[in-house]
Amino acid sequence: MIGGLFLYNHKGEVLISRIYRDDIGRNACDAFRVNVIHARQHVRSPVTNIARTSFFHTKRGNIWLCAVTKQNVNAVMVFEFLMKMIEVMQSYFGKINEENIKNNFVLIYELLDEVLDFGYPQKTDTGILKTFITQQGIKTQTKEETTQITSQVTGQIGWRREGIKYRRNELFLDVLESVNLLMSPQGQVLSAHVAGRVVMKSFLSGMPECKFGMNDKLVLDKGNKATDDLSKNSGKPSIAIDDCTFHQCVKLSKFESERSISFIPADGEFELMRYRTTKDISLPFRVIPLVRDIARSKMEVKVVVKSNFKPTLLAQKIEIRIPTPLNTSGVQVLCMKGKAKYKASENAIVWKMKRMAGMKESQISAEIELLPTAEKKKWSRPPISMNFEVPFAPSGLKVRYLKVFEPKLNYNDHDVIKWVRYIGKSGLYETRC
Amino acid sequence: MPTVSSRGDAMRGLAVFISDIRNCKSKEAESKRINKELANIRSKFKGDKTLDGYSKKKYVCKLLFIFLLGHDIDFGHMEAVNLLSSNKYTEKQIGYLFISVLVSSNSDLMKLIIQNIKNDISSPKPVHVNLALHCIANIGSAEMSEAFGQEVPKLLVSAHASESVKQSAALCLLRLIRTLPDAMTYAEWASRVIHLLNDQHMGVVTSAASLIHTLSQLSPGDYKGCVSLAVSRLSRIVTSTYTDLQDYTYYFVPAPWLSVKLLRLLQCYPVPEEPAVRGRLVECLETILNKCQEPPKSKKVQHSNSKNAVLFEAINLIIHIDSEPNLLVRACNQLGQFLQHRETNLRYLALESMCLLAGSEFSADAVKKHRETVINALKTERDVSVRQRAVDLLYAMCDKTNSEEIVAEMLAYLKKADYAIREEMVLKVAILSEKYASDYTWYVDTILQLIRVAGDYVSEEVWHRVIQIVINRDDAQGYAAKTVFENLQAPACHENMVKVGGYILGEFGNLIAGDERSSPLVQFNLLHSKFHLCTPSTRALLLSTYIKFINLFPEIKQTIQNVLQNDNQLRNADVELQQRALEYSQLSSITSQDVLATVLEEMPPFPERESSILAKLKKKKPASVQAIEKEEEKMKKSPPSIENHVNVPKEVPANTVSRLTISNSVDLLGLSTPPATPQQSTNSLLVDVFGSVDQPVAPKPESNISKFLFKNSGVLFENNLIQVGVKCEFKEHTGRVGLFFGNKTGNQLQNFSASVSMGADLQGKVNIAPQKEAPTQIDGGAQVQHFVNLECITFFSGSPNLQLRYQHASTPQQVTLKLPVIINKFMEGTNMPAADFFNRWKQLGQPVQETQKIFQANHPIDTEAAKTKLTGFGMSVLINVDPNPDNLVGSGIVKTKTSQIGCLLRLEPNKEAKMYRLTVRSSVGEVAALLCTMLEEHF
Repeated sequence: MIGGLFLYNHKGEVLISRIYRDDIGRNACDAFRVNVIHARQHVRSPVTNIARTSFFHTKRGNIWLCAVTKQNVNAVMVFEFLMKMIEVMQSYFGKINEENIKNNFVLIYELLDEVLDFGYPQKTDTGILKTFITQQGIKTQTKEETTQITSQVTGQIGWRREGIKYRRNELFLDVLESVNLLMSPQGQVLSAHVAGRVVMKSFLSGMPECKFGMNDKLVLDKGNKATDDLSKNSGKPSIAIDDCTFHQCVKLSKFESERSISFIPADGEFELMRYRTTKDISLPFRVIPLVRDIARSKMEVKVVVKSNFKPTLLAQKIEIRIPTPLNTSGVQVLCMKGKAKYKASENAIVWKMKRMAGMKESQISAEIELLPTAEKKKWSRPPISMNFEVPFAPSGLKVRYLKVFEPKLNYNDHDVIKWVRYIGKSGLYETRC
Repeated sequence: MPTVSSRGDAMRGLAVFISDIRNCKSKEAESKRINKELANIRSKFKGDKTLDGYSKKKYVCKLLFIFLLGHDIDFGHMEAVNLLSSNKYTEKQIGYLFISVLVSSNSDLMKLIIQNIKNDISSPKPVHVNLALHCIANIGSAEMSEAFGQEVPKLLVSAHASESVKQSAALCLLRLIRTLPDAMTYAEWASRVIHLLNDQHMGVVTSAASLIHTLSQLSPGDYKGCVSLAVSRLSRIVTSTYTDLQDYTYYFVPAPWLSVKLLRLLQCYPVPEEPAVRGRLVECLETILNKCQEPPKSKKVQHSNSKNAVLFEAINLIIHIDSEPNLLVRACNQLGQFLQHRETNLRYLALESMCLLAGSEFSADAVKKHRETVINALKTERDVSVRQRAVDLLYAMCDKTNSEEIVAEMLAYLKKADYAIREEMVLKVAILSEKYASDYTWYVDTILQLIRVAGDYVSEEVWHRVIQIVINRDDAQGYAAKTVFENLQAPACHENMVKVGGYILGEFGNLIAGDERSSPLVQFNLLHSKFHLCTPSTRALLLSTYIKFINLFPEIKQTIQNVLQNDNQLRNADVELQQRALEYSQLSSITSQDVLATVLEEMPPFPERESSILAKLKKKKPASVQAIEKEEEKMKKSPPSIENHVNVPKEVPANTVSRLTISNSVDLLGLSTPPATPQQSTNSLLVDVFGSVDQPVAPKPESNISKFLFKNSGVLFENNLIQVGVKCEFKEHTGRVGLFFGNKTGNQLQNFSASVSMGADLQGKVNIAPQKEAPTQIDGGAQVQHFVNLECITFFSGSPNLQLRYQHASTPQQVTLKLPVIINKFMEGTNMPAADFFNRWKQLGQPVQETQKIFQANHPIDTEAAKTKLTGFGMSVLINVDPNPDNLVGSGIVKTKTSQIGCLLRLEPNKEAKMYRLTVRSSVGEVAALLCTMLEEHF
């Protein structure tokens, strides 16, 4: 189990140190600083073993988060906890940086007392934590409130309290996906996958039971078989999900047996599920690079970008980053659309477009002047990377239904106002040149 | 441009850039800023723009700074080279700096650079020349020394060059010589370089002294003249007051660096011959020693540091000269004062120099006066390195008179010594105790204590050495066995102790077996209790010990065999252990006691050679041993130390144990000498032990018969064609002899015949009847059997003959052998109480019935071995009959068809004289005589 948790700033100064177990000494935080933060060689492994003590670290901006243990713990559990901890802190005071941590250190210690008990992770759900760890000073709680909190925290449904009432029953579903791609210069896909999340924001009264359905291939095939080829290919494409995880509210037993996702939602915003697909990804953009050495001190780069989705949709925040050689001495850029600039500090040409419709094509050409160098080291030609945002799910995931049942209160599925939104973003979207 | 001059040399851009980088919050921000700056510089260095010298200098400076931050710089070299041709000093300086830091020696630009340097070297401005010389020295490549190997010496000795140029030239040349010592000829300008020591300018002299020091090491002959110059220069410095050499006086010490260099230079040459020079040198050294007695002129640490630096170098020179007793003793006294100085560095240096002084014959006694202080330093000193020096010094000052005390102190210190120096200390203690041991009990005690205190640091060599010495010294063996036994009784003892114990008890355990507290079984149990805690190599050694125990103490044979035959040994995963266990258990169960006794004979003395420990110490610390080496030479002349005590036997008998065991993991005592060739008889014994067929040809067939006196089967005869094995069974007066004829060739042996015949003396006494006809041919590689039945009618002497005839490759061959049918084969042992024995003994009292022989022992006198032999002979050995336990009595009955002849035997060993008295009484006098003769030669 986790023996202690440290937060450092970029210089390696300890901002937060909380030790949960006696087997972790005070010198553990120094050991991590010396061997990882100030290490001569950059430490790439997220887990470091120093003197039979394991250090699990992750970095957010300039802040190092490090969990320490002497036992043989489940590393994935520790990292999951660290991520949750980051999420909790973000929801309490926004961005994680040195300033915010210093301003909120009392709160952070309070949180750390609550989320870990003798090194065992406890409640990390933000919504619940916020009911009893507040930033508005200490307010005296009535007896009822205290008992309510107690029963809530110790009860079976820890993520939702009873007696919630809304005038308007409303829910929002966001399907957020990020596409990762590595493509060869010839346009061959070397690797591609989509990491997606379904985020739900619910404002529902009582203790409603919800059922969520999407075009999961397994479910659809099963359904088709049941209805006996009646609508074998009802025109709706289905997707194969490689793996997925759910929020704790989802009844896993039901998912195991029927593959139906049913749950009593947490109040407010929460992440219903996470998934990953690798098959049949519709790539929103295609980048075609053309790099040519004209002379010893000159080269020409031409990049064509094609959008590959319905013309009615609009992609946004498009940014293409074309790396330049390290001995670039001058760049002339010419582009028809958007703005392009040579950024010397990043050794790249950055081309930005506000929006681009589907099935369009755009082009940039640049002339790069080079300075002769002492050693003829070959330039490693890093890939061209791209950032964008599109209003559909590149994996092809579709929400088929989200049904709400609340037997005790008098509203039914039809009364609930539902909103669904799809956002596809770029992860590492790279094309070699 | 007017702005250029107004900007001056401030290089504001550089300052801004540096402060920007200092202000960066994170690494990422820093690298962004640097990338931006690099892009900016690249755009500035682009070919189409011309830059003024100032901007070039500024950008090259920025590049240098970026490089020093750890980033790669692969451009800007050309601009830097361009800066060299500038006329401004600052621009040139930055250009040279960039080149010496960044340009690799195999760059294409080197030619251009060399051209620029050449221009500067011949420039009239001394600052430019200096810059060029610094650059040459900083690059210091082979190419540089080729290009300027001739130019720089010219500058050095030229009449016009300024002092600062000469200074730089000397140091530059030094660097070039170090990179390429053979590229230059030194002789032509040797005398002029030497005379630089007479230069007015002290700076020139200082740098020249360094140069001459290196040159004189390369070609001592050419620079011999520097000695007198150096001495006179030194004396001028030493005798000057501190006001004379204004700029070169450092905290009231006149030119300390130069003095040190000159003193070092003088150490390169032997003591000057001319009395004048020599006198002056001695005078200088005395002055230096005198000055140390004066009260310090300043309390500043720099003052004492520089003064002591000169002093220590002077002491080094005194040690180097090594012929001035007066000076040596004075130096020693001076160092003695430092031994208790509160400055740690001084104590360290004092101990180090004393170590050297201890090696000199004049000052050795003076050093020994400080023994108490040094021992005290060992105990109280806080600094590890100083303690180590103290150990070195103790080691160096040790002699016969103080060895016991010093070794005791070192042993005491060893307990709390720093881990890093323990191994070395262990070696030193081992060497000292061995070298100065007057008494072997002391030596054994010391080494065992050493193992107890610092077992982990006792290397193989140390305990090997103990065993070598114990084995070579008869008088130490008993004590060693006793002490080792006592040490092993400690609940936790080190593995090295187990090794020593195992070996010594295995060899000499019998010497302490008389005491019932260390009876054989106790010894064995003690060793075996440690067995499971040891590493395989130690276990292997212990297994060897066990088999030696079987030989030494036959009474615990069964216990040991049980251990050997335990599955833990026989099926051990370690091949070596498995093999040993298997071989030893076979060896102990198959062979008779005398074979065992021969195989496991006591280890022969080791041939004397250089102590392996000393060799090891030499390898570890070449310098510190030299002092001891000197001692050693003296020791060789003077009488006794252990090494001289030990008598060296020239020939080494067969070391059968180590031959038997394929000892790959344990080199028993690191025997680097090849094992001596075993004697033939031993070899044939080995053949029997393993019943092997492929052994080399046994020698004369006739000699083989005697070994069958004690056993009934074995190889009777073997040559390269045929092997004859024999297996006999006897019951009362009948017997059956099985003969096995093996054809060793690939071809058939034809016309084979085997006939048993009796000489005239046996006619009628023994009946012989072959069970079947002997085979007439033997196929290649095959073996045939042939059985012969015997009947003993009456007693006989001698044995029947076996005649073999066969034809191989169409040449007839004939072999005559003695069959191992001897009268004693028909003897059966009888047990009887003591009273019966004496009754019968008296009954056979007639002179005819008794034969007595007194003879020299052929083998070491060993009661157990003798018992086994007698049992094999057919007698039963009667216990508790003779009042003297060493004496053996036996009885048996020779059963023939016609009569039964009772025999009684008494064997009395005399250990002091190594003699035996053998008395045999029998109802038939001739039988007594016969048995007596047969037995005689086997004891």
